[in-house]
Amino acid sequence: MLNKFDIQIRDEQDYAVIDTEGYLNDALGEALSAKAHGLIQEGRTKLVINLEKTALINSIGISILIEIIEALDEREGTLNFCGLSATQERTFRMMAIAKYAGIFPDEQAAIENL
Amino acid sequence: MQLSTAEETIQRLIFSLSELEQLGQTLISGHSNFNVSSKTYLRIALGTLQSTRGAILRFHPADNYLTVAASAPERRADEKSLIIAVEPEDVAQLLQHPFIQIGSPPTGLEGFFARHAELCAGIDARLWVPLKIHDELLGILSLGRFLGRTELEAWEQELLTILAHQLSIAIAYSQMMEGIQGEKFRLFMLAESAPQICQLLQPEDAAQQVVHQAVSLLDANAGGLLLKHSQQPEIEWKYTFPETLASEFPTKIQLDGEGVGEECHTEKTLADVAKEGKTAHTDTHEDARLGANNIMAVPILGRDADVLGVLVVGDKEERGGRITAFTDEDAILLDSFAKQAGVAIENAQLHQEALEARHLQAEMEEARKIQENLIPETLPDIPGYDVAGHYEPRGPVGGDYFDCLELPAANRWGLAIADVSGKGMQAALLMATLRAGLLSEVAKTDEGANPDRDIAKRLCDMALTLNSLLYASGTEEKFATFFYTYLNPETDMLTVLNAGHNPPLIVRKDGTTQWIGEEIGGLPLGMFPNDMVPLIADYAAEQVQLNSGDVVIYYTDGVTETINIADEDYEERLEPDAVEASQAPNAQAADIMKHVYDAVIAFQGEADQFDDLTLLVLKKK
Repeated sequence: MLNKFDIQIRDEQDYAVIDTEGYLNDALGEALSAKAHGLIQEGRTKLVINLEKTALINSIGISILIEIIEALDEREGTLNFCGLSATQERTFRMMAIAKYAGIFPDEQAAIENL
Repeated sequence: MQLSTAEETIQRLIFSLSELEQLGQTLISGHSNFNVSSKTYLRIALGTLQSTRGAILRFHPADNYLTVAASAPERRADEKSLIIAVEPEDVAQLLQHPFIQIGSPPTGLEGFFARHAELCAGIDARLWVPLKIHDELLGILSLGRFLGRTELEAWEQELLTILAHQLSIAIAYSQMMEGIQGEKFRLFMLAESAPQICQLLQPEDAAQQVVHQAVSLLDANAGGLLLKHSQQPEIEWKYTFPETLASEFPTKIQLDGEGVGEECHTEKTLADVAKEGKTAHTDTHEDARLGANNIMAVPILGRDADVLGVLVVGDKEERGGRITAFTDEDAILLDSFAKQAGVAIENAQLHQEALEARHLQAEMEEARKIQENLIPETLPDIPGYDVAGHYEPRGPVGGDYFDCLELPAANRWGLAIADVSGKGMQAALLMATLRAGLLSEVAKTDEGANPDRDIAKRLCDMALTLNSLLYASGTEEKFATFFYTYLNPETDMLTVLNAGHNPPLIVRKDGTTQWIGEEIGGLPLGMFPNDMVPLIADYAAEQVQLNSGDVVIYYTDGVTETINIADEDYEERLEPDAVEASQAPNAQAADIMKHVYDAVIAFQGEADQFDDLTLLVLKKK
């Protein structure tokens, strides 16, 4: 079963914003992980992931997000999320993602707090 | 300065001990994810043993395969999706050997390494160290060439054993943490979903959320919700994820009849769940439409344990994107969720029904107001005549209408009675349209010095105009029966036109009776377009002479179809009651009308009535 997804990167000078679209499961998660690790390899240590167009996340998606957080943590980088639904925000807080990454209501705030 | 072998060994031991400490730190640092920390573990292992290449393979015991968790140097981008199948007997063999030389594998593992020779070459594997705790295989530490030597010294082997043990603990810890995290996620989603979906009052929103939550909760790749039809033995798709999936299925699945699901195993499974109310998880065989590999379906139950529908998820995935079977624990989880979903869906349905009832009630009240405004409060005085009318709403708003109109020509009058089909706002609006059309048409009937000229033809033309008007403003199910009387009090001549209405009754002064307009019954207004009217039943008018003391009783079918508790209708009683009322000494039109009305009410007794009642009485003084 193929769920359509899309990832867009806006690579600014000091930071990068990753926009996801679709179900954040293994397929989208791995693609997101590859993009994020690519940016980290290139020296980007400040990332924003905008999940505004991702309404659905499963446990694999969550574990991949944790991997990205840990990979950035090793480089002493910062990851902020924005565009989360109320349920997603509660999920992130409950899964301790919010402990290691920032959660902001909009992209501007997420960028400003990198 | 050249270091002696002993000094070099001591330095490497010190380095190794510090790296082992770092490995321990990594293990307890809170980085629970093995996919991240395995790279650190591998770097430490390779550095300690001075190996140039290596990989950590992770074993997945549920499905017996190995995947690459980390490799150095990092290889292909799709390395993570590599799957190395391991037969159970190979697992047993791997557990027996602390070190396995790939070039000369121990007896029993030759076949395994022969099958995976290409893969081993790809990761430059020379030495495999099985990672295990007790008799449970957790993974493999694969090592390549060692710098400056072909074999490890004894102390290096001991170091490698310690390192492997540490790695095994790390994998076990990660597995435990991942398991806890997964369960934490599911429990949270389960707890979170109930209040969230129960707040959704629109059935469509509830259906979407239920499917989304179920897909997310079960790590599925697809899902859908079917609900039972209230009248028909069928279930209907309300939402699917992905949404495009809906196009791959027929909208509805029949629950009975021959051949249900014969062509589609998935549909048969879903129909069985709806019929039997039992959970099913199954392979989808050849009809891979909802989930390419497998589906799991549970019944959605209402408060009374009646099956409301079926919730289905398909293709459970695991890390790496591999599709795996739903387990019994998954079935319990989905069943728990379905219980909450049942409450949410039933709530949304009840809310929707309440809203519709409230909306219908408001519409009925609005329609009633419109209709009542169309009924004249008082009737005009017609010289030489006495006229009375009564309209009584009974049950849902119908579309009865009557009027007595003073025409533009001097001393000419029009009496109309109509019954619009249907009920509610549509009927009220159609009646308003009919009345507006009628008023517009009668305003044109002034023929100056000879107002009665061609009156029969003019009435037929009027009927066609009204027919066209109603046909254009309604649907085929919306039409009106209509009876119109053109009255000339100077000659006491009635010219009548009937468009499918109940024929009025004339009671002559001597008590004899005559039904009028029976032979000229044209089509109800608005049922067919004008060009079809002549082909079926064209409009025609007839003339009836009235004399002093004659009474004309107009009525709608709410009168004749009034039923009593024995389920008999009033129709046969109308004529004798009308005669009795008309023959009463000095009976006025209002008296006659009341007499008939009282007779109808007495006849109905306690029986419920569902159609409006309208009476219009014209008496020649």
